[in-house]
Amino acid sequence: MLRRNVRLRKEYLYRKNLEGNEREIYEKKRKIREALQEGKPIPTELRNEEAKLRQEIDLEDQNTAVPRSHIDDEYANATEKEPKILLTTSRDPSAPLTRFVKELNIVFPNASKLNRGSQVISEIIETARSHDFTDVIFVSENRGKPDGLIISHLPFGPTAYFQLLNVVTRHEIQTKKEMGKMSEQYPHLIFERFTTQACIFMGKRVMNILKHIFPVPKLDAKRIVTFSNESDYISFRNHVYDKGEGGPKSIELKEIGPRFELRLYQVKLGTLEQDEAEVEWVLRPYMNTAKKRKFLGE
Amino acid sequence: MAAVKDSGFEALEKLKSTEPPVFLAPSSISEVARAASQYLFTKLKPHNPKSPFDELLVDGFDAEQIWQQIDMQSQPLLSTLRHEVKRFAKNPKEIRKIGALAVEASHEGDVDEMEMDDDNDVEDDDDDELDESEGEEEEEDEEEEEEEEEESEEENEGIEDKFFKIKDLEDFLEEGEAQEYGTTDFKNKKGLSKGKNQNLSDDDDYDEEDEEDEDEEDEEDEEFGAFAGDDNEDADKLGKARYEDFFGGKKKETKKTMRDVIEDEEAGDGNQGNEKLSTHEKELLKVQSKIEQMEKANLDPKHWTMQGEVTATKRPKNSALEVDLDFEHNARPPPVITEEVTASLEDMIKSRIIEARFDDVQRAPNLPTKSKREAKELDDSKSKKGLAEVYEEEYVQKSNPAFAPATFSDELKKEASMLFKKLCLKLDALSHFHFTPKPVIEEMSIQTNVPAIAMEEVAPVAVSDAAMLAPEEIFSGTGKIKDESELTQEERKRRRAKKKRKFKAESANHPVKKARDTNSEIPSTVAGNE
Repeated sequence: MLRRNVRLRKEYLYRKNLEGNEREIYEKKRKIREALQEGKPIPTELRNEEAKLRQEIDLEDQNTAVPRSHIDDEYANATEKEPKILLTTSRDPSAPLTRFVKELNIVFPNASKLNRGSQVISEIIETARSHDFTDVIFVSENRGKPDGLIISHLPFGPTAYFQLLNVVTRHEIQTKKEMGKMSEQYPHLIFERFTTQACIFMGKRVMNILKHIFPVPKLDAKRIVTFSNESDYISFRNHVYDKGEGGPKSIELKEIGPRFELRLYQVKLGTLEQDEAEVEWVLRPYMNTAKKRKFLGE
Repeated sequence: MAAVKDSGFEALEKLKSTEPPVFLAPSSISEVARAASQYLFTKLKPHNPKSPFDELLVDGFDAEQIWQQIDMQSQPLLSTLRHEVKRFAKNPKEIRKIGALAVEASHEGDVDEMEMDDDNDVEDDDDDELDESEGEEEEEDEEEEEEEEEESEEENEGIEDKFFKIKDLEDFLEEGEAQEYGTTDFKNKKGLSKGKNQNLSDDDDYDEEDEEDEDEEDEEDEEFGAFAGDDNEDADKLGKARYEDFFGGKKKETKKTMRDVIEDEEAGDGNQGNEKLSTHEKELLKVQSKIEQMEKANLDPKHWTMQGEVTATKRPKNSALEVDLDFEHNARPPPVITEEVTASLEDMIKSRIIEARFDDVQRAPNLPTKSKREAKELDDSKSKKGLAEVYEEEYVQKSNPAFAPATFSDELKKEASMLFKKLCLKLDALSHFHFTPKPVIEEMSIQTNVPAIAMEEVAPVAVSDAAMLAPEEIFSGTGKIKDESELTQEERKRRRAKKKRKFKAESANHPVKKARDTNSEIPSTVAGNE
């Protein structure tokens, strides 16, 4: 296991190195392809390498044509399997927190809840790995109010730490009988304003992390889960829609499920129990220019 | 005149009778004091012919000026008095003579004074506003006095005015010094000291009543008043201390010069204070006062908000409620979820649903595990090769696959296989050539037990003899082979019995043929014989 991890890390670094070169080659291929399509002469700088590149273009298929980046490598094969989620809490959870976790259990399809008891985090993650879970989600609280959410992708994936704000649970709104049952369909996803993509900007990265918690839905699914970013605060909403009577343009939205704001404050490049893992990004709220900086995009 | 005299005397009596605290508060006692001092002055006038004043001018004059007038009169008087005392000390008999003379003189003086006082009865205002509104005789007297003074002090015209005379000031200061530091005259001054006391008390009252324009003048007056007051209190003590003790010999002039320099400077400052402060001076004052304030504030213990970590015990009760705490927060505050926000969110969601624009997880296309089947296109056109050529090529392929010409697809396949081999080589190198061997595919094929020579013609070249027959098929038995000559009798018998049994078993299955092919002779019989 250790050697395997060492090898994987070397691979990661090697591929990161190659990325620059690959990008260049991809660009050249793209130029040649365009030139061929439009019937224009190939640009002069590519003439030497033209023959070789053209051969490669011919042999390319769907997968190899896209340039790969080392980011989101963890999710390269995530779509092949359906995600399997393990939900836990911090130690000694209060009653409101357990209710909240029960709700989250329903919100995330293919999720299972685990009582914390006195287990150590490393134990939990080991068992999760051995049972082929793809993600582990921890929820922590402060005096009854859930205030922290940690999403850890499992084989050795990234861990995202969120702060929960303005949590409104289903239990707070209405009693069980009035609410009715919540649909557990695989939902459609909406991500709004997750635009940034670069080293310190985390928009696309967070989008990927949140996306791969959910499985591939059917096309006609009626449930919608929304993550909307507004100046680095992500709003989570859970709706069910119906085509109204007025025609195709009218839609009735019914809000189900809990509603909360997420605020990302750290992304680590290892799993939750790896304390020494590299910190990919961390929030710096006490910088003088903290007000002006927006990391998740606008 | 008599009335005035009497009034003066009454005033003096009254002063004597009043309690000391009354002198400290401003009251009508000042008028009384003035009248008393005037009376005394006129009394002393005949003894002092050189004095420029006929009368002590008190109205409109401040304490200092009155004091100076007294001083001017009394200074020469002191010296004469000293002389007289010494004379009397030597010749006591002359005292009686003088007593008579004094009475006469006083009478004369009184008459003169009466006349004079009448003239000078009207008040004399020194203010700039009221000028020459009094009687002519007064004016003449004033002018005389003023001329006398002016003649002596022509040099200081620019600085002096009706209020301030430097000579007066100097005299005044000198006297003050003399009192403080103790001179031989001091004892003789005792007679005058009472008067001075009253004058000084008068001065004190006058100080309090009269409010000067300039601060410095007041300070000086008060200072000297204070000094004088102290001296009066310690008069007895200081009387024993003499100038000679401190400075060694009566050298008034030197003392004067030393002191006067400083006094002059002070006078000069006093002058400026009296006139006006330049803007620079004013600013300097302001800055200095500010500095003093700040220094004082620095010395005081700090306010609790400035003291770093402060617990509840170290600050006054409920003081934290009153402090206006306002910090600039750098982080943006979390969003407040209002109805508008929710409404806008829902609108956005609705629009997305209508557009069917979701950010779902996309399944990645799987890599094909099996290669596409080659769809062989049947060529409709007439083949170019003749049938014979087709058969020829087939035959060549069968017999000599190496010599067959490669087709196009074969070329591609070759290229692919070459690439794959290179790749496999690299991968094997990665695992240090520790790879699992190819799985054994068990194939069934008929191996004819034919001697190699016979097979060589028919079998393909590549197949070796080793694949023909297994060694067990060639030779079955143990390694202990004995020659016929080595056998014992019993073993011979055993072999012969075995042979017979076998023969019988075979003959039971197959009927015996008459003619046997020597070629297909079973070699096991040969082995069995041994």
